[in-house]
Formats: sequence, structure tokens, C-alpha cells
Amino acid sequence: MTRPPSRRDPVGTACRVAAIALLVVFLVFTAYLGYTASQVVNIDFLREASSGVAVSAGIGPALAGTIWLLLLTAVLALPIGIGTAIYLEEYAPRTRVTAVIESVAANLAGIPSVIYGIVGLALFVRALGMGPSILAGGCTLAVLALPVVIVSSRTAIRGVPEGLRLAAYGLGATRWQVVRNQILPAAGPGILAGCCAAFTRTAGAAAPLLVLGTATFMSFAPQTPAHPLTSLPTQIFAWATRSQEEFAALAAGAALLLLLLLLAMNLVGALVVRRLNGASR
Amino acid sequence: MMPRSVSGAGTASRAAGERLVAHVLLACTAVAVVALAAVLAVLVREAGLFFADVSPWRFLSEITWAPAAAEPRFGVLPLLVGTVQIAAGAAVFALPAGLMTAVYLDQYAGGRTARLLSGVTALMAGVPTVVYGLFALHFVTPALRVLWPGIEAFNALSACMVVGLMILPTVVVLSREALESVPAPLLDAGLALGAPKGRVVTRVLLPAASGGVLAAVLIAMARAVGETMIVTLAAGNESRLTWSPFEGLQTLTAFLTELGMGDAATGTREFQAFFAVGAVLFVGTYGIHMAGRMLVSRSVGRTGS
Repeated sequence: MTRPPSRRDPVGTACRVAAIALLVVFLVFTAYLGYTASQVVNIDFLREASSGVAVSAGIGPALAGTIWLLLLTAVLALPIGIGTAIYLEEYAPRTRVTAVIESVAANLAGIPSVIYGIVGLALFVRALGMGPSILAGGCTLAVLALPVVIVSSRTAIRGVPEGLRLAAYGLGATRWQVVRNQILPAAGPGILAGCCAAFTRTAGAAAPLLVLGTATFMSFAPQTPAHPLTSLPTQIFAWATRSQEEFAALAAGAALLLLLLLLAMNLVGALVVRRLNGASR
Repeated sequence: MMPRSVSGAGTASRAAGERLVAHVLLACTAVAVVALAAVLAVLVREAGLFFADVSPWRFLSEITWAPAAAEPRFGVLPLLVGTVQIAAGAAVFALPAGLMTAVYLDQYAGGRTARLLSGVTALMAGVPTVVYGLFALHFVTPALRVLWPGIEAFNALSACMVVGLMILPTVVVLSREALESVPAPLLDAGLALGAPKGRVVTRVLLPAASGGVLAAVLIAMARAVGETMIVTLAAGNESRLTWSPFEGLQTLTAFLTELGMGDAATGTREFQAFFAVGAVLFVGTYGIHMAGRMLVSRSVGRTGS
């Protein structure tokens, strides 16, 4: 199945060209980001606050904002999402209601994130009076992440072999003992991978935060969730919309940092998944 | 897993603990259901208020969208057409290339090449769309200007190309899954009959995987329709009906970001217009996504049996 395409295989040649084109485009993209970012990234860039003067601008506050948003999402969406998945899979009787919840959650994971933004504005910023704060952003992103966490955790839990459950129940284990000692260890890697996907979506989300109303010129790092909303993706957007080259370079620097943050997060996730997989074998 | 030793606690307290856990989990489910239902409720309520004022017919038939003007006009067509144009343009760039890359990965690539290519695809899938938007506005558009000096600073072509790039990993990963689910003996039979490899790919592999590939296309299209940051940055934010890919346009999603920049007060018709547009976008992407998921489960069920 893995023979190289022969000279008389136009389909194979075309497919090979498409794959090479994909690699080339990716290289151009990374080269553009790396080259442009190299003009601004230094240690001051990480510490300084953003500024209207391109030379002295930095991303400290935006980075702190993104870390706050990730923490809030982790606290709000992960326990509720995983708890819901456990309840639906292991506790709730299979009825039409649970089937509807499952289908709605799966499809909500696919709707555009900007829709969560307008709902978050009406609900958290205006109706609940949170204002355009980090707290409102965290709540909005938590709702955005919730369907992803629920769906991936349910898939992971459903993948646990039925024999494991039956054997544990047969030995007289209670429901929670089965969940805690059998289901969670076996489904852990899958649940964690889903959480990583949800985190990637959260950390990169610009559109919903833009709708909530973000501060793009922040002179100091946010200390509490009541602080005005700022984040790396919205800062990238704000800089990208300015026409001067200096700001494009700043945006590329921030983009590179965001990509490294996502990469580090996913690598740690993958390592933990691998270790968990090794431990359960 | 080693079973944990049974704790020494009495049965009564253990039963109480069991009930507590069940209640906590039920509470989690209730919070999640309320949160997701609230999303739907807010959309339905605000969009309902809008359509009580502006008839759906006017909304769908007028050709000017100017909700914040002194004499507001609520014809959603420019946004709807703009969205379809961007998604169709992205499909031109992403679907053939993505499907061919998937075939290459499944049928032709050696182990190391396949690993490299899947790694790159996974990296591309994780790039936030605002970063792609930056790339579109500050690299692709200037590059296009070298070819066509007359192209506008905000144009649909750049947005189409980069949205195509954004959905490419989705197309590759999902179609590859569909191709992998085709049983190998089917292909071997074709090869054994003397058909050239390329013919086996087009006459056996692709038809057998068509359901899953179509699902991949639908899910990728749902993402293209919902894409916000690339189109806002690259195609601008001015609603108009145009067929020229060299001019800017506004999509449903790009319009929604204006809510954060303007200051439409709660309860005004301008504010509700955002939710009417949000509802259109919701129904469209929800429908496409659901169709895609149904196709996936059907094709998986068929090859599994």
C-alpha cells in the first residue's frame, strides 16, 4: 500500500503535488510569522504594556489576561463538563431526554464562536452586570468550551470496555466506586485530550471576546477578574488592524507567543496522556 | 488497575456518600443544561423581538443592510451572499487539495512522510484564526497586489484563500478517516484485476468512502461559514453585494463583531438585529453540522457491519 507512485499514475502524482503544496504553504506561513516577529521580540516585549507608540509596546497585560481566561475556563467548564458526562453516561437512564442533550451538545460544539460572544454580551456583560470584564470573558469562554468538554468526555467514557464495569459491579462495587476506580482511570487519557482541545479553542478565541468589548490599550497587567477584558488574540487583532508595519510586527510577535503557548499546552497534555496510557496498561 | 481495598467505613455512611456524589453530578448536569439552554433562549428571545418588528420577508428580500443608519435598513441578503461567496471560494482552494492530500496520506505516503504530514496538519489545525487573519491581511493581500495592483486593501480573494487554508486540516483529517475505513481487500481486489493504482483510487476507494468524505466536506463548510476573524481582517467590514473577488464584503460573522465596537443599547432594534443575524448563522451552521455528523455515524455504521 505504500509504494511510491509510478510514472504512469497521474492520480498519484496529483495527490503528491497537493501534499507538497500543503507543506510549502505551511512553510511560507511560519516563515512570514517568524521573520516578522523577529523584528520585535525581545525581553521587554514580554514585560511592557501595550502602547500607542509601537516602539515601546509589549504584551504583558494581554498575556496575563489570557492566563486569567484559561484559569476561569478550567474552574468553570471542566468540572461541570466532566461531571455532566459522567452523569449522562453512568447514572442517568437512557431516555429521549439524554439523547436530545447529547445531540444538542454535539452540534453546539460546531457553531461559530462569535455567536457565544453576542449571547455573552447580552447575558453576562449586560443582564448580569459584569461589564466587559475578564470575569464576563471567562464565563463566555466557559460556555463555549462546555459542549466540547461534554462531548469528548462522553466519547472517552463510552470507550471503556463494558466488561470492566460489569466485573466491578459483580464484585459488589458501588456506582461511585466503579466510576472512581475503573471508569475514570480508563477514560482519563481521552478526557484529558478533550480538555486540551477545549483549552486550545479557549486560548485562541478572539471573536467572542471582541464582541464583549475588549480594552486594547492596557497600561498594567490585570490583577483580578473584575479588570477590563484583555487577551492575546484580541491584542493581535487590534494590532493587525493598524496599517503601520511596526504594528504588524507586534501582532506577529504576539501571534508567535500565542502559538508557543498553545504548543506547550498541547505537548504537556500529550505527555500526560501518554503517561496515563502507560500506567493503565 | 488494582482494585482499591474496601474502606472500613460503615455501609450507612457509604450510602450517604454515594447519594451525595449522585446529587453533585446531577447538579453539574443541571448547570450545563441551563447554560446551554440559556444560549438558545437569549438567541430566540432577541431574534423573536426583532422579527416581531421587521417581517422575515423584508429581512430576506431587501438588498441593503444598514442597521445603524438614521433610517435603518434590514435586508440581510448582502451578508448572506457574502458568507456564501467566502465559503464557496474557500471550498475551491481547500476541498480538492485537502482530499488529494488525504488520498496521498492514505495510499501513497511512506511511514515517515505520513507522520511529518499529519504533524504539520495537526499544527495547522491548532493555529488560532486571528493569526491566519493577520497572515491574510499583511502577507497574502500585499502578495496579491503584486499580481493585481488594482485589488482593494480589503478583498474577498485573500479572505477566501486563507479561510481555505484554515479549513484544510479539517478536510484532510476527516477525509483520511473516511478513506481509512474502506476495507483493504476491496482495493486489493481492484489491483488484482490489473487496474492501475490511480484507477483503483478513483473508481473504488473514493466511491466507497464517499459518505464520509461528504461529511468531511460539510463539517469543513460549517467552519468556513462560521469563520470570523479572517474575514473581518481580510475582507473588511462593509456590507455590499458584489461579484468581484477584488472588492471587500461583509459576512454574517463579520457583522456580529461590530456589536463589540459600536454601542447598540439593549432593547433597541439595532441590538436585536445582531441576534437575528446570529440566529440565521446558528440555524445554518447547526444544520450543516448535524447533517455532517449524521453522515459520519451512518458511514461508520455501514462499514462496521
